[in-house]
Amino acid sequence: MSWILYAILGAPLAAVLLALSGGWRLARAATVLAGVMSLGFAVAIAIAVEHGRVLATAGGWIRLDSLGAVFLLATGLLYAMAAVFSVGYLGVDQSHADFPRFARRYFALLNLFGWSMLLVPLVADFGTLWVALELTTIISALLVAIDRTDAALEASWKYVLIASSGLGIALLSIIVLYATGTHALGSAYVPRFVRFLAHGHGLSRDAVRLSFVLAVVGFGTKVGFVPMHTWLPDAHSEAPAPVSALLSGSLLSGAFYAILRFFQVSVASGQRGFAEHVLIVFGVISLVAASFFVLHQASYKRLLAYSSIEHMGIIALGIGFGAPLAIAGALLHVITHASAKGLAFFGSGSLLRGYDTKEVEGVTGAGSAMPWTGPMFLAAALALSGLPLSGVFRSEFEIVVGGFERPQYVGVSLLLVFVNLAFFGVIWHAGRMVLSPQAAPGHGRPVRERSAWMIAGMLGCLLVSVALGVHLPGDLAALLSNAAHRLGAAG
Amino acid sequence: MPLGYIGDFFAVGLILGLASFVVSIAAVDSGSPYAQLGSSRLRSFGALNEPTVIFVTFVLALTTHTDLPYAFGATLRSSAVQVLRPSHLLMIAAFFMLVLVETGRIPVENHGSTLEFGQIEEARVVEHSGPGLAFLRWGSYVKQLLLYTIFANVLVVPWGLASTGRLDRVLLAIGLLFVKALAVGTVVVVIESSFAKLRLYKIPEFTVASFMLAVLAVIIFLFEPSFGDGQLTVFGAIATITAVLVLLLEFGLLRSQDVWEQLRLYALGSVVVAALAFATAASGHGGSSLYVLAAVTIGLKALVFPQGIRFVLRNLEIEPRVPSVLGVPSGILIGVALSALAFVVLRPVHIGAEAALPLSGLPVAVAGVLVAFLLMVLRPYAPSQLLGFLVLENAVSVASLVIAPGLPIILALLLLFDVLVGVLVFVVLVQYLAVERTAVRTDVLNRLTG
Repeated sequence: MSWILYAILGAPLAAVLLALSGGWRLARAATVLAGVMSLGFAVAIAIAVEHGRVLATAGGWIRLDSLGAVFLLATGLLYAMAAVFSVGYLGVDQSHADFPRFARRYFALLNLFGWSMLLVPLVADFGTLWVALELTTIISALLVAIDRTDAALEASWKYVLIASSGLGIALLSIIVLYATGTHALGSAYVPRFVRFLAHGHGLSRDAVRLSFVLAVVGFGTKVGFVPMHTWLPDAHSEAPAPVSALLSGSLLSGAFYAILRFFQVSVASGQRGFAEHVLIVFGVISLVAASFFVLHQASYKRLLAYSSIEHMGIIALGIGFGAPLAIAGALLHVITHASAKGLAFFGSGSLLRGYDTKEVEGVTGAGSAMPWTGPMFLAAALALSGLPLSGVFRSEFEIVVGGFERPQYVGVSLLLVFVNLAFFGVIWHAGRMVLSPQAAPGHGRPVRERSAWMIAGMLGCLLVSVALGVHLPGDLAALLSNAAHRLGAAG
Repeated sequence: MPLGYIGDFFAVGLILGLASFVVSIAAVDSGSPYAQLGSSRLRSFGALNEPTVIFVTFVLALTTHTDLPYAFGATLRSSAVQVLRPSHLLMIAAFFMLVLVETGRIPVENHGSTLEFGQIEEARVVEHSGPGLAFLRWGSYVKQLLLYTIFANVLVVPWGLASTGRLDRVLLAIGLLFVKALAVGTVVVVIESSFAKLRLYKIPEFTVASFMLAVLAVIIFLFEPSFGDGQLTVFGAIATITAVLVLLLEFGLLRSQDVWEQLRLYALGSVVVAALAFATAASGHGGSSLYVLAAVTIGLKALVFPQGIRFVLRNLEIEPRVPSVLGVPSGILIGVALSALAFVVLRPVHIGAEAALPLSGLPVAVAGVLVAFLLMVLRPYAPSQLLGFLVLENAVSVASLVIAPGLPIILALLLLFDVLVGVLVFVVLVQYLAVERTAVRTDVLNRLTG
């Protein structure tokens, strides 16, 4: 079964090589193929590990359990859909003179980015995890800057500087954890997750707490927790739409995955309550701040970026509540948020291609002018706000119920109030864009759907989002409960 | 020695101050405007030095509960660990800067110059001649020797002093003192020949910096983890000295307004980190694979990064001046506050690692991380921010070598590889920025807000 781990890491790399060696049409085909294959492999792997089996290979350096599989699924889904969507998104510029070079560079980087994010949940130790996360930062920074406009360069510079500095702090947390592990594990060892979990009680209480806080601050910079979030709206709004979707749905949660590994160590060493408090504090701050930013935003891509911060806060709260249902809900939220946010960013990309503006004011009557994109963008907004029938509703509902179960009344009430506030913000803006009458067609070309590929990418995300809301497959439920169990939900 | 105990720090300071007062009066009496200018300058800069002297004395007094230099020397001799406390190392740095100011050396004053504008001490004696001048010269040499003696025999290497009146011991102590003073003098000469004189109005920044280091030494003394009874290891000594050196070099970056100088300071810091890796391997911590890491560190961080960045920046013809957005003294003050914060926060933390590891290096490294952040904030220029990131990485490397030397080499090399790729991306972005904006200021990067 371990061949599949090589396969899922090999497919994107092969696509990178093809994109670098062949023409842009080959690069395009290879990207779509690699994306769809990765999604297939991810589903197969998730089914294999759903009952607690652990896949390991390469001398133990590559290892996957059910917790990692949740994040692998989210990344696989978005990678596949982004690959499909990119075909249409780039196709609009096909007439430009330097399009072939640009497209090859873009597809090569996109596959490399997908590869690095698939690597994150597959590694077995904290050191390699850090390396993989830093790789995602570096590669995505190039993707953010790929348009080379002033704004894109500014966003990319802020992103790579702030995120790398945050990861510097995260490295410190790993070092502190390593140092305290020397007591139980000897002076030289590979900092594998399982070793810390097995020797949880040999770890110093202070060191575990210190490293958890450093990890939440350090990796939290990439997650987008609020005091450290400043790079996030810029990078999300300036990157090409498929990259924004990957950043929001996959990169942020990948960094959160690293925090969860630290959370596991905290639980194993008896520091569960402390870790939960830290997560609740950061979750509430992110939720509150982001929902106010959502309320008045002039740019719809920035709006979606702040909504990502809000949803990362919700996931942090779900883990922080600590009830088994809430943890399972938070993990489900990783996937449902990825599908809904993917849909939203793809929609924003399609709108950008149609209207040539990122301003909310500039988009009018999208419902009639773009008969596929408009409704689906509105559906994305509704899904993100957690309306029933969307997967986000299910996961948020589980988090809230779990919070009441614990009981964590303060956290749950704040969650409910500010989720509603963000709901008003998102719906108000999206509703205006889609439902308002279309402004009189002035100069320039008429607004219309630009590509069936873009619609296909959106449809895929919509399908997943609604399917998860209507019926949670038994396999996925088993996977989530097993992963929640690994996070100590039973205790 | 019956009279040994009358020589306390305040008495020494009082006698030196009295002598200086008399020289100033004599200078004023001469009626020459230059001489008067010299004495007034000396008075004003001297006033700025007093706080440093007081805080250095605080560290001494806190350690020994007296202000006797002999008692302090005895405490240091009792356990060499004392010399290697971070607070003590910082205090040595502060006192050394003080010595430079008090003896009128570069970067404060240039004895060889005949230009009156920068003269301080020299201007004061300009009207004297003959035996009077000889006496004044002699007096200043005595003062210099006195300060060197305090620096060497009390603070740095208080070994080899004569504890009895036997002639051979006394002669040996005199000989040793001569050697020590010569060593201090050599360092001063190296500094004299490698730095330029500061402009007159920049001198307060220099004295403020030494004052800040002394303050930091006191704060760290109050908050550093109990360190006195740990046994001294060579590794522990080198680790602590390295951590403090890296922190001091970061303060140097914080002070510097020139991107080439910042690059040199960064390269120097990398050499120090590599030396720590060598020492870690040589002392048996973490295995011989650390030699590889040290070699890679030297090659990558001390040679490839600085030279590569220099090459790129030269090609882009960027403006090398990188003025701070805050005044340098304020910046250093914030840096000191951040460093103190690191010690305060980490004081109650028990890492619970192997006992042999020098844990007092950890707060210093964390302080280094915080100061690196400050550097990025205060220098809104792309090259400086890149250097800030690299310096941060250096501080984390120190932390890792100090408390986790056993980290497998493959991981350490992977981390370095990541940094390499990161630097490449930074450089690509710097190039884009330079091409797009013809400037690499990053505080103009404020279009995206809200």
